[in-house]
Amino acid sequence: MAEIVCQNIKKNYGAVEVVPDFSLHVEDHEFIVFLGPSGCGKSTMLRMLAGLEEITGGQLMIGGKVVNDLEPRDRGIAMVFQNYALYPHMTIRDNIAFGLRRIKVPEHEIKSRTEDVTSVLGLGPYLDRKPTELSGGQQQRVAIARAMIKTPDVFLFDEPLSNLDAKLRATMREEIARLHKKLRTTTVYVTHDQMEAMTLADRIVLMKDGQIEQVGSPEEIYERPVSRFVASFIGTPAMNFIELKVEQSGTEWFVVGEGVKLTFDSSRFDVSVGQQVTLGVRPSDFEAVSEVTDRTLAGECDLIEYHGDQALVSFRVGSVHLHALVAARQRPSEDEHVLFQIRQNTSHLFDATTGRSLLKQ
Amino acid sequence: MNRRSSLPYTFLIPTVALLAILALTPTIYALNVSFTDRTLFSSSSNYIGFENYIDLLSDRRFVNSAYVSLKWEIMTVTTTMIMAVGLGVLMFECASPKMRNLYCLIFLIPVLLPRVCAAFVWKFAFHPLYGIVTYPYRAITGQPLDLLADPTTALMVVGFVDVWQWGFFFAVIIVKLLESLPPQPIEAARLDNAKPWQIHFYVTIPMLKAPLISLALVKAIESLRSFDLIYVMTRGGPGIATETLDMYAFSQGFIEAGKIGYASSIAVIMLLTTIITFTIIWKRVNK
Repeated sequence: MAEIVCQNIKKNYGAVEVVPDFSLHVEDHEFIVFLGPSGCGKSTMLRMLAGLEEITGGQLMIGGKVVNDLEPRDRGIAMVFQNYALYPHMTIRDNIAFGLRRIKVPEHEIKSRTEDVTSVLGLGPYLDRKPTELSGGQQQRVAIARAMIKTPDVFLFDEPLSNLDAKLRATMREEIARLHKKLRTTTVYVTHDQMEAMTLADRIVLMKDGQIEQVGSPEEIYERPVSRFVASFIGTPAMNFIELKVEQSGTEWFVVGEGVKLTFDSSRFDVSVGQQVTLGVRPSDFEAVSEVTDRTLAGECDLIEYHGDQALVSFRVGSVHLHALVAARQRPSEDEHVLFQIRQNTSHLFDATTGRSLLKQ
Repeated sequence: MNRRSSLPYTFLIPTVALLAILALTPTIYALNVSFTDRTLFSSSSNYIGFENYIDLLSDRRFVNSAYVSLKWEIMTVTTTMIMAVGLGVLMFECASPKMRNLYCLIFLIPVLLPRVCAAFVWKFAFHPLYGIVTYPYRAITGQPLDLLADPTTALMVVGFVDVWQWGFFFAVIIVKLLESLPPQPIEAARLDNAKPWQIHFYVTIPMLKAPLISLALVKAIESLRSFDLIYVMTRGGPGIATETLDMYAFSQGFIEAGKIGYASSIAVIMLLTTIITFTIIWKRVNK
């Protein structure tokens, strides 16, 4: 068990700066997820934690020890790779025992530990097979077993589920969550799938262009995104954005744009009159209403995506397309005129130029 | 036969026929001659059945040359493979990708050299009085050193030249094979407490088992055709210390006795042994 401290970590490939400055404190037992679009540096960051990439600058500490220049094998970590990275010529048993054999753990101990680990992951019947004879999910389980058996201080997962099909991904996600609950090992998990991040993480580290955009619990990140980027990245279906301008008349504050005039609670936001802002509303925060108020948006419904229990209604207001999530039974029909009201205190305002959230802390 | 199915045959038949004529004519001719008492001194000959073959069994020089051939095969194939794997892994571990490409370029030179040239170059390098290889010994002891004239070292020196030509070339192939491996199992092994040499011993080399066996077979076949190298460097000498089967067949046929029939029977035995051995090895390996 160990905490991880990253202090001003940098990574350059020649002249290209991949990670300019990364600082993070991962608590003991914590499950941290690095989330971000591809190319945001999250895998590079993980590989630096593992020791597979050299750290250009800054300091990395695992369990109170500076590990910048330590070999991967001396860092007390275990890693699960996206494409499993099993040794193709060895049986499952040898794959799992490989790491212990290298540090000369007695054979009888290896045997009992292999049995423990494989029974947890349900790999018992496959021990004498070769990796290619197993399905993707089973192979990933072997990779997890190989990491677990070393009883590391830190688990690193590099997009471990992205090679699996959707159904298996959900099962494995649950299994990883259970495993962490049981072992309580500090874990860093890299993914581009926000669903995995939301369900597994104690804290999510959302990254963009090698920099941390926001760190927080899944709820914090969902409820109080610090920027338009975070808001657009988290949540399915994605948040709606409308470019508007702030106006004031008397004590009422409005955001005004093409065919839109909405009132908002100015005590929630740091705004000034005349400021260009982006209004963000999650599709699930729209509710269908029958009367026009100062919080409603009206438009023509042009497409309906049926999801089963819910339906995603696409409608046009002025020149922008917006989406609203409604109960499938109450969905309008296409080409119908629709009227949606934004639920109280759910809207977000972002500065139109910087993209930063204007929500008061 | 419609046009579509006749087209492949139109292309195949001439080439296959040419190949058959080129490959089979000498083989069948040699097989035919091996049953005669044909010599270079007279144009007439008689069929003598298996007499040549029976004579071979009691020919101690033949038995010796078969033994030398076997030694030659085992020695050159194992040394080449060990050197190539060692050098390949060393390049992979220690050299930057840029340097690796430079080394590869340099390491390709020996094999590009015609073997007769290589043989002459090294024969001179091992020259007892003027050779550069023997120079340190001469400088220290003041005595000449003739490794090619010593029955215990002659085969090793010739083998050294063969390994020099092929070992570097195979090292280049092996470093390229290592580069083509997926990096993840290697990274996993680095995290799995494996030291660099253990990564190669337990992970990369076993992953390359199939191509390495193919390489060894290629080298084994190539080693069988080392006539030119041995001919230039020792001519089978000193005595018969480096006389392989093909060398002995050549000297029986063209240098000493001119017994073409007898020489052909040696060639036929070589052919059969090679076919049988390689078939067995190939089947075993491909299991």
